[in-house]
Amino acid sequence: MTSSGTTHDGAVDAGAAESSGTAESYGEAGRGDPFRLAGRRNRPKIAILAAAALLLAATSVTAVAVGASGISLRDVGWALWTRALGITISTDELATQTVVWELRLPRVGLAVAAGAGLAVAGVVLQGLLRNPMVSPFTLGISSAAAFGASLTILFGDSSGRGSVGMVASALGMALLCAGLLLGLSWLRQASPVTLILVGTALTYLFQALTSTMQYIASENQLSEIVRWSFGSVNAATWAQVAAVGIPVLVATALLIGQAGNLNAIAFAGDDAARSLGVHVPRTRLICSLLAVMLAAVIVSFTGVIGFVGLVAPHIARLLIGADHRFLLPFAAVAGAVLVLAADTAGRTLFSPAVIPVGIVVAFLGAPLFINLILTRRRQFL
Amino acid sequence: MTAPQPPPPLPAQPSSLSPTSVPTLEIRGAHFAYGRRTVLDDLDLTVHRGTVVGLLGPNGSGKSTLIRGICRIHRPKAGTFMLGDVDLHRLPPRELARTAAYVPQGSPGPFSLTVTEAVMLGRTPHVRLRPSREDERHVREAMELLDLAALADWYVDELSGGQAQRVVIARALAQQPQVLLLDEPTSALDLRHQVETLHLVHTLAVERDLYVLMAIHDLNLAARFCHQVALLHDGRIVTAGAPAGVYRADLLEQVYGLPVEIDIRAGVPEVRPCLPARRVAPS
Repeated sequence: MTSSGTTHDGAVDAGAAESSGTAESYGEAGRGDPFRLAGRRNRPKIAILAAAALLLAATSVTAVAVGASGISLRDVGWALWTRALGITISTDELATQTVVWELRLPRVGLAVAAGAGLAVAGVVLQGLLRNPMVSPFTLGISSAAAFGASLTILFGDSSGRGSVGMVASALGMALLCAGLLLGLSWLRQASPVTLILVGTALTYLFQALTSTMQYIASENQLSEIVRWSFGSVNAATWAQVAAVGIPVLVATALLIGQAGNLNAIAFAGDDAARSLGVHVPRTRLICSLLAVMLAAVIVSFTGVIGFVGLVAPHIARLLIGADHRFLLPFAAVAGAVLVLAADTAGRTLFSPAVIPVGIVVAFLGAPLFINLILTRRRQFL
Repeated sequence: MTAPQPPPPLPAQPSSLSPTSVPTLEIRGAHFAYGRRTVLDDLDLTVHRGTVVGLLGPNGSGKSTLIRGICRIHRPKAGTFMLGDVDLHRLPPRELARTAAYVPQGSPGPFSLTVTEAVMLGRTPHVRLRPSREDERHVREAMELLDLAALADWYVDELSGGQAQRVVIARALAQQPQVLLLDEPTSALDLRHQVETLHLVHTLAVERDLYVLMAIHDLNLAARFCHQVALLHDGRIVTAGAPAGVYRADLLEQVYGLPVEIDIRAGVPEVRPCLPARRVAPS
């Protein structure tokens, strides 16, 4: 039985073994095949995770240190040290400390939390819906949040991104959209494809509503709506870092706890998952609720950072494999690195101009993603 | 499972002689319905340990429903499912999953695991938070048993249909079940892999003392590899027993709506549909 030598796409087939007809050489030929990324699947996953965490740490340090104010790494260290110990310092040093502590660190923190959370939400939704094209954004959540934000800009007190009113409005709309989707999947036992289609329809609906707002908006309001839709972590505060970071941490931990059940649903299917002892409806509800809430909270603080939720899961899957036990934490780190790097590039490359991270992330992520997809050795979609 | 494949030996004759002390899988009064449509009606079936029972019948006769019902993918409206004196449907889900394993027709999903990871899915009802040494040992054993060790690091979507089918069976064995439920395990395979898979299922049943219930379309393969068969029609068992007794031309014609001829070769019945096309063969 070992000699059954055909793969579906044939691209990486051990063709030699098949043509020679020696049955037992099949497996060996596959492993020795130079065209196969053999190492990629055997790498110790813990080591990959550790390396990724180190990369994130390095990126964070770099992100705090680089910028318009000409602060060195040593200055950063000194500023944090004096801050932590409450040492009295000179006015110059105080200015540095303010930049590091009040501007750079919260910004890094928000970028990391948002990137991690969006990536985790993407992994979970792609797995649950068994579809590689799903992200929190294809399900209408970001368009809903954008509509909520534009409502505040037009009719409410608009004191800018991150103001309580705007976050509340964006979050309300995002949760409404999430509720519609979850309610549908719960009440009608809708199939994944149905949910994706409904999500797509909701995206268009909320986009049309936002367009209507833009149509009736004044010049100033219009530019504010547009600016909101370029996701950004400008003017991040510690309060925002906490408001985004804590849900991200909690939800990610809970979801990693569900990784085994997620694996069964994503790779065996609902029926077989049930036969594996998984409580499928409950797992689906818990995981999709967490993922969707996560995306809603993040987007209402940062605006639309669209690409991460789609791309970070794929990058992570290519590097560490699809097992959710490892994929979830790794994707969180990958998403964090991606958003943080994009934000740092956005505020330094054309300094003093600051390009919103939502724009940069697409410039950075799209070529990276296309490259990964085209150079991968096997069809994984 | 070594190549070149020897011709599969004939199955042991139906084990109507199994001693009474050995527990049996007893299905009594099973009733399944989707909404108002009754799919299985008051069905009784017994599976002896170490034997393969084949469920035969046309599409829609209720084979899959019974297979899936035993492991509670579908909830029965009535009926008991006893393994010895254990009521399977009173077990908690994880416990049931450690007793009865299900091999579905196909595995969905665009994302692919490696063979090892896919077999590890079978440990889901055993694993707490992360797989233990013992989980890994059972995965390795199941992979060796199904000759998958050399493919351990391959992605499932790189495998042939027969290999992929073996991965799913290995996953089921990693559950350490007593009952193995297979839903048309050969439907996507070519002839050779059909024979190999069924031979494997037969061997597993006998050597590992499993209770195997298998929905299967191919009457001739079923006759060779099942100890007993049950012929289903419109949610009822028309007849059950050893293939040689069940395969009667009049019954099969009635169930499948097609006239058939039956030959007995070496004690194994062979079914041939009578094709009207013969009469219009070119001269």
